[in-house]
Parts: sequence; structure tokens; C-alpha cells
Amino acid sequence: MHLPGYYEFSARVKVVSGHRVLEKIPAELRKLGASKPFIVTDNGVSSAGLLEIVTDSIRSGVTIGAVADDIPQDSDVCIINDLAGIFRERGCDSLIALGGGSVIDTAKGINIVISENTYDLMKFSGAGRLKRALKPLIAVPTTAGTGSETTMVAVIADHERQRKMLFVSYFLVPDVAVLDSRMTLSLPPAMTAATAMDALCHAVEAYTCLAKNPMSDICALEAIELISRNLLHVVNNPGDKDGRLALANAATLAGMAFSNSMVGMVHALGHSVGSVCGVPHGMAMSVLLPYGLEYNMHKVSHFIAELLFPLAGSEIFARTPKHLRAERVVTIIRKLNQDLHDATGGRHARFFGEVLDRHGAHMVEKEKIPDIARTALGDGALFYNPEDLDYDDMLMVMEGAWEGVPLKRNLIKSG
Amino acid sequence: MVSYREVKPGGKPFKRAYVAVMLWFVGRAVQAAARVDRAVAREFDDLPDSFTFCLGVEPRGPFMVVGKSKKGRVKYLGWNPAGKEIDLAMRIQNMEAAILLFTFQENNALSACRNRITVDGDIPAACAMMRVIDIVEVYLLPKMIARLAIKRYPSWSFRRKYLGRIRIYFRSVLGY
Ligand SMILES: [Fe+2]
Repeated sequence: MHLPGYYEFSARVKVVSGHRVLEKIPAELRKLGASKPFIVTDNGVSSAGLLEIVTDSIRSGVTIGAVADDIPQDSDVCIINDLAGIFRERGCDSLIALGGGSVIDTAKGINIVISENTYDLMKFSGAGRLKRALKPLIAVPTTAGTGSETTMVAVIADHERQRKMLFVSYFLVPDVAVLDSRMTLSLPPAMTAATAMDALCHAVEAYTCLAKNPMSDICALEAIELISRNLLHVVNNPGDKDGRLALANAATLAGMAFSNSMVGMVHALGHSVGSVCGVPHGMAMSVLLPYGLEYNMHKVSHFIAELLFPLAGSEIFARTPKHLRAERVVTIIRKLNQDLHDATGGRHARFFGEVLDRHGAHMVEKEKIPDIARTALGDGALFYNPEDLDYDDMLMVMEGAWEGVPLKRNLIKSG
Repeated sequence: MVSYREVKPGGKPFKRAYVAVMLWFVGRAVQAAARVDRAVAREFDDLPDSFTFCLGVEPRGPFMVVGKSKKGRVKYLGWNPAGKEIDLAMRIQNMEAAILLFTFQENNALSACRNRITVDGDIPAACAMMRVIDIVEVYLLPKMIARLAIKRYPSWSFRRKYLGRIRIYFRSVLGY
């Protein structure tokens, strides 16, 4: 147990979890003083039939003011302003965000525009610019990974000015997160694996990075245990409802952990691999996680060692001598990646060299590694990483992660 | 009789003075390091011209302002950010937090993690400035103390570390 001299923790989202809990949404809205929600979702979600399940589950209890089912992957300010117009026109009074991180962020953006009664969303970017509560927002995640349903940030693009703006405020935390197993049941195995590995990274980084604290530790440990007990089984048996619900819970718990304790170098590099090469976030996370642990090992092996318990269970934990536990954690995570690789017919990547695009070409070209390293040096997650990384360190980690070979420990600088 | 006195903000004059001196010196040392150390120069090169950075204590200072001129020359611009266009502000949230930081009881990264420093501006620029300050601390402080301030003490050549240190101290004191 690590008790820092100072920390802050807040997890104010109400969680409603179960196999048939969408039906609770009208009652939750009423409690929040709302009766006419605006549903926001994307094409993929609606064509998978999830939107229909939601509307069917709630229509007997509430009037749905409007449904927007075409939020693009990289939603931006213009779209948000248009949708806010529809929200006003139809006299809606609340939002239901049905989807992944991008949909939830869009809903948060609409909420700012509506609640602050503005046309200039960008005026409110940055930390702490929002001074009052927003309209009720219910998040219904359809992937079990990002944890956006618990966070107080929104990332919104401004394509005209070619930039991404960050909004940070406690008022952006959704009022309710509805975790219904039906929403993730149809997620394909490879997506299930990648998104769950993202959640695992949130939990592991929250537990091993500098802002860790007892509250977030508990969330992280529980998330890790839920993932390690259920992920492989769900990937092999996509219809496992209990397993699906367990993963959804794990993602939310991991979200609570990392939105307080933040993440470190795995995310710094992962964001950069995403922005330079377009590698999906979860896939980058799966590849990079063992490398992040190896890199930070000399600083935080005592924390990493504690993860063996939720990852492998009490028996293996007890049987492994104390000084070998941390290394065992890295081995188990590599093994998990290998098992997921086998279970998905090779779709789940173990290293960047085997990440291919639709045409069979490398997504991460080797020549791009310097670019990736440079971009990662500007990522705020580095503040929270236990060990420092300079440009050469980034290169070393990326080269290892490209080839799929463990880091040479004698090359990791410690000062 | 109850006096209902009003408590004006302020106080802690000695701590203020200590932090003010530290900030003044760090500001001038950043200017010096930008001219002496290649890594620091490179960090500033990557930033836009006329970039202005301010570090200080909320709410009433002291502050230090460092900026690039239009020609890209790094200069210490004094203690007062008022009237200057600041691109990146790092604000230490109160005097006690500043004391923890400048007496090296808490390292830079940890202060940021503990929400004792708020960052207003571009995150990549903030990362760059944190690296600059880390390097400047290695120059200014003996190893024993610098190790407390930064995550990883670098292994520099004799030339960079000791000659660099002399040059930076010299320039910081004289202010050029
Ligand atoms: Fe993530």
C-alpha cells in the first residue's frame, strides 16, 4: 500500500451495471430533472443494431427528442454546432451518448455549447473554464476500453484551424454511466482484445505511475483482475454475457483509476504511434505495455510485483519468490498478447512489425520511428511516468516494440 | 467587541523573497543555458519565435518571464508578466508549494502530478520547458541536490558539466 503525502481523487459518475439496465435510463433522466433526451451515436453503432436496442428499451418511459446517428470518427466543432442547433430546435433537455470515446466527447461538446449558450465552443477550451453544471449526460459505452464514461476531459478537433482542443472540467463527467452487456456483445474478437488491453494499460499505468494513490489503486487492481479472468474467455466465446459485463466494468474501473492517477509512457508513445501512423489506440497499447513495464522496472518494480496477484491469482503469487514477481508480470502480459494473437487468428498484434493496413502494408514504417519518438516527447503523460525518457530512449523502446524483442536492460539509463 | 477584521492576502515575506530570488536566478540561468548548452538551445529552436514562457506563484507572484525575441534569441524578461503576451504559463498554486519545490523537498514532476503546478498553454511546449528547467538545475545545483529535483541525473561529459556550469553561473550573475 502506497500512501502519498498528497493526492486528489474524484469519481462522481453514477454507475448502473447489468444485463438489462438500459431500461433504467428513463428513471435516471427523471431523477436528473430531464424528460426529452437527444441521442448521439455513430454509424457503426446504429448499423450493429445497438441504437435500436436502446430506443426500444427506453421509448416507453421517455420522449426521445432527436437521434443523431452519424457522428464521424473525428468529430469537430462544426458538427457540434450543427447538432446543438438541432438540440435547441427540438427542445431537448439532456443527452445520451451511445458509443466510444469520440461519440462521448462529441456529446460533451454539444453539452458545453448548449449549457453555456454559446456559438464559440473554443472559448471554453483548457482547464477550468466551465463555471456551472451542464445538462444531464448519460453515457452508454459500446466498447469496453476507453473509460471515457468516467473522465472529465473531452478532446475536440477544430478542422478549420487544424488543431485539437482539450476541455477539462469536473462538469464534463457524465452523470450516469450505463453498462449493459448487450452493448458490447457484438464487438468482434480482435476489437474486444484491443480495447480491453487499453483498459489494462489504464489500470497498470495508473498503478505504477507517479500520481498513484489508495483510491485509484483499488480501482486499478480490481480492473486488472476482471480483465485477466475474463478477456481470453470472452474472445473465445463472444456470447459470454457475464464476461462482457465484467470487461465493461473493468474498463470503467480503469477509467476511474487513470482519470485520477493519469497514465505514463505507454500512452505517450501510443498517442504518438496513433497520430503519426494511424494505428488504433488499443492495438498500440497492447504492443507497448510490456515495454513500458520493462523500461520503468528499475524505478517501480515493487509496484509492478504487486500486480502479479490480480493478474495471476493468489496461488501463483504465493509460489513466485518476491524478487521474481515483477518480471513474471511482464512475462504474463506478453503471454496474454500471444494468446490473444492465437485466439483472433493473428489479428491481435504482438509487435508493430506485424501491424498491417488493409492492403497488407506496414502501418508503422520503420522510417517513421524518429517522428514517433519526437512527437512522444511532447506528450503530457510523460510528466507522470516514473522514469525520464529522452529522444534516444524513445527510439530504443520503439525499435524493441517494432521487432518484438524485449528491451536490453543494460541499455536503460538510470541516474 | 467583535472586530470582524478583514484579512488581506499576502504575508510570508521571507518565503516570498526566497522564491523571488530563486526565480530571478533560474530565469537568468535559462537565458544563459540557451546560449551555452546545445540541448537547451535545441528545445528553444523548436518553439515558435516570440514564444513567451512564465513561471511563478499564484496569485500574486513572484514570477519570472523568459521569451524568444523575433530573431529567436532567448532572453530573461523580468519578474512581471503583466502586459506581456504569455504563450505558456506554469503557475505554482501557492507559496507553500513553491517552497517545497524550490527547497527541493519535492521534485518537479511530482509537483506537477500533485496539481501544485497548473499549465496554461501548449502541452508539447510545457514538456520542453520542463526539460529545460531540469537541465538548468543540473547546471546550477550540486549532484546531491539536483537528484532530488529531477527524475534521472544525466551522465554528461566533464566538459559539458563543469565548464558549462562555470559559464552559466558567470553569465547568470552578469546577466548576458
Ligand atoms: Fe488509453
